[in-house]
Amino acid sequence: MRAKKYNSLSQLAAVMAGFAVTILLLESGALLTWADRLDVGPARSGAVRVTAALHKALQPLGVEQVRKESLGGLDRLGWTDDPARLLAAREKSRLSASGSNSPCTVAAHAPSPAVPKTAAPVVTGVPRLTALKPLPPAAPGEMRVVALVGDSMMAVGLSDVLLRQTATNKNLRIVKAFRSGTGLARPDVFDWMEEYPAMIGDEKPDAVIVAIGANDGQGFVEDGKTLTFGSDAWVKVYQQRTTDFLNLLTQNGAHVAWVGLPPMKAGAYNDRAAEINRIAYTVVSQNPLATWWNPQPYIGDEAGGFRELETSPDGKTTRIRAADGIHLSDEGAALLAPALIGWLNPGPPPITTAQVAPQETPAVQASRHHRGARGRSARP
Amino acid sequence: MLFPTVEFALFFLAVLLVAWSLHRWNSTHKLFLLAASYAFYGFWNWTYVPLLFGISLASGLVAQRIQASGSPRPRKLWLTLGVVICLATLGYYKYTTFFLTTILNLWAHVARPPKVRIPEPLLPLGVSFFVFHAISLMMDAYRGKLKQRVRLSDSLLYVAFFPQLIAGPILRASNFLPQLRAPRNPNAIRLNRALLLIVAGLFKKVVISNLLATRLVEQVFAAPQTFSRGDVLLAIYGYAAQIYCDFSGYTDIAIGCAMLLSYRFPRNFNAPYTAADPQDFWRRWHISLSSWLRDYLYIPLGGSRGSAARTCVNLMITMLLGGLWHGAAWTFVIWGALHGFYLIVHRLWSGIPWTPLVRFRQTTVWRWMARLLLFNAVCLGWVFFRSPSFAIAFTVLRRLAVPGAITLLSVPVAMAVIAGLAGQFQPLRWRKALEFELGSWPAMARGAAFATAIFTIELLGPSGVAPFIYFRF
Repeated sequence: MRAKKYNSLSQLAAVMAGFAVTILLLESGALLTWADRLDVGPARSGAVRVTAALHKALQPLGVEQVRKESLGGLDRLGWTDDPARLLAAREKSRLSASGSNSPCTVAAHAPSPAVPKTAAPVVTGVPRLTALKPLPPAAPGEMRVVALVGDSMMAVGLSDVLLRQTATNKNLRIVKAFRSGTGLARPDVFDWMEEYPAMIGDEKPDAVIVAIGANDGQGFVEDGKTLTFGSDAWVKVYQQRTTDFLNLLTQNGAHVAWVGLPPMKAGAYNDRAAEINRIAYTVVSQNPLATWWNPQPYIGDEAGGFRELETSPDGKTTRIRAADGIHLSDEGAALLAPALIGWLNPGPPPITTAQVAPQETPAVQASRHHRGARGRSARP
Repeated sequence: MLFPTVEFALFFLAVLLVAWSLHRWNSTHKLFLLAASYAFYGFWNWTYVPLLFGISLASGLVAQRIQASGSPRPRKLWLTLGVVICLATLGYYKYTTFFLTTILNLWAHVARPPKVRIPEPLLPLGVSFFVFHAISLMMDAYRGKLKQRVRLSDSLLYVAFFPQLIAGPILRASNFLPQLRAPRNPNAIRLNRALLLIVAGLFKKVVISNLLATRLVEQVFAAPQTFSRGDVLLAIYGYAAQIYCDFSGYTDIAIGCAMLLSYRFPRNFNAPYTAADPQDFWRRWHISLSSWLRDYLYIPLGGSRGSAARTCVNLMITMLLGGLWHGAAWTFVIWGALHGFYLIVHRLWSGIPWTPLVRFRQTTVWRWMARLLLFNAVCLGWVFFRSPSFAIAFTVLRRLAVPGAITLLSVPVAMAVIAGLAGQFQPLRWRKALEFELGSWPAMARGAAFATAIFTIELLGPSGVAPFIYFRF
């Protein structure tokens, strides 16, 4: 019997109907989550209303339980890439294996009271030249654990270069705790307060390098109210989230280097990045264990604006920003790496503030970097 | 908007509904698809929609002028003008920074180069693809392959049609324009095949490709010096599976979506890792690009019509430019050069007339040896294709000599690598049997099965959506 290759429009319509009914039954909860995660605006409001109504109507049928059970099963198998879910599944398995009857909960992390919650007023501008506060010298033979934390500003370019340049350093152990597409503005998409402890597991970093905020130039919903980016209410909430996150990073005495957002190519986006930087600088300045570090002198132009290409003193031209005008290229990240790695390796003789502060022009520093990148590995 | 997103699903369902509602009025149907295509492209960045429109219009006008011109000289002049406009556009957006920095860096070896302000335009999404479509339109008009006069509205839709707009397959005007002339037949929708393609494409992209990228490939290529031979080899093979699944997954979805709208797109991948020689590989990998390069570059250069040496030169030029098309970086050029080298070696090897060798080349033993050799040669090329720099590429290759434990192998990773590579050896009859079986189900049941498959893919897929590799081109 020959296979019937072609179908009619009415059959297509029936297939689409069957598809729509089944997908709504199986995924009404997931669709609501998707709607919640949209950028704040009229589209999101409409999508949330529709999907919430659908979810409410379909939930009593219990079909979406299939999804929950399936996800739970996959989490137990270690299939998920969500660190908090993976940790929760492992904890649940451990408790089941030990026969414990106590309810499985992932301990919600309470922010350290290291910094008072009273918000300081946000600065009107950030300093161009900033120095990284030197780390206490490491004891001989001591392994320093360093966490690389952030969104794609860490994941793309910067983490790769830092990993490569510290690969031969036996006194450093790098813990990767970054995830593209995340931020502090939307914990409904990725909650750093829950995910960071899961990402670092049992590690207790001595030092943390943070590059985050590129996705935070957006509004969000807080306590049912939509807060527009940059409004007073938005700033207040975002500042608090940044404070809580910083307290989490420094909770075990870890020192934090918070890398500011670099200048961005698109004007409107650059303005938002500048606002994020001002808030982050305000918060970080309040924490004695943390330093906000401005990458502008290294990868911006003389006016502190966006620069895509770098010409070294020997005339070599390289691209320091990715084609999207946002992320760093490997060459761009390599301009920042010496200062950050220098901060991690205070080793004898002790590094003074003058050695880590950008006293020289970026061109001279780039020249130093180019020479170093051709073979010398960082000394412990 | 990316294919594996709810936004695209809603967009496509709306387009499907409206397009089929308008199928009796072909002009209105096509106008709607054109508007939908511009909306699709504008979702990324509205400021580049005029560029897309401009290229489409220019190529359509030039194709009309070519068809209207009787004598060869004006036809050639129009074609030259059109191709120059297209290549200049592509060159400006994609290659300006690359070429200028290369010239300045070469100059720096000899003397201090002058200070030059280098333009840094944002790369429009899919520019490499829609420029090639535009060139195909004008070339097919020039070669007389378009039987009917080009309509501007059709040329606009041909270049901008959303399923293939940003990552192919590269359609031929001579194949697609006749489809646009004919109204859609509501009784000739290849529904089952389309559903299977979309499901297979999503599974390859969302599950296999993403999993390999995040759990294996990115980690090794980020800092290869921290991994030893086992992990590095696994990552290289993993990347071979990742890029195949990523790209073929995307084009499967594109072909399936077009099929639901009753348009036929050409097949773009045909189990490329089963190829036993480089020529066969390029008949199976990114078929639409390799055939485009063959018809519009290799053959006009002379193809294999000249001497053996000239053929080798033509092969190398074609592959070098093919590599450059993929990206404005020397690593892509080297990747192209490697494939050019493989094609040349294959040509010379196949031409050796020694009888025992000729017999040996026909044996099954040789066929499997050749497959293995070719696969590893292709993987060598992938190392350069994937690496952001030569330093990283050579570090990856050097680490193949460093013994050590495999740390990145897990059950999901192993399953993904096997599925991505060995899956290409599945017999065609399995796919046909599945299509046949699906055809016997009631329509609503097929819809439910489609939804269940999408649901499964969503469960197995990672959180967040990684972009397709070929978006960069």
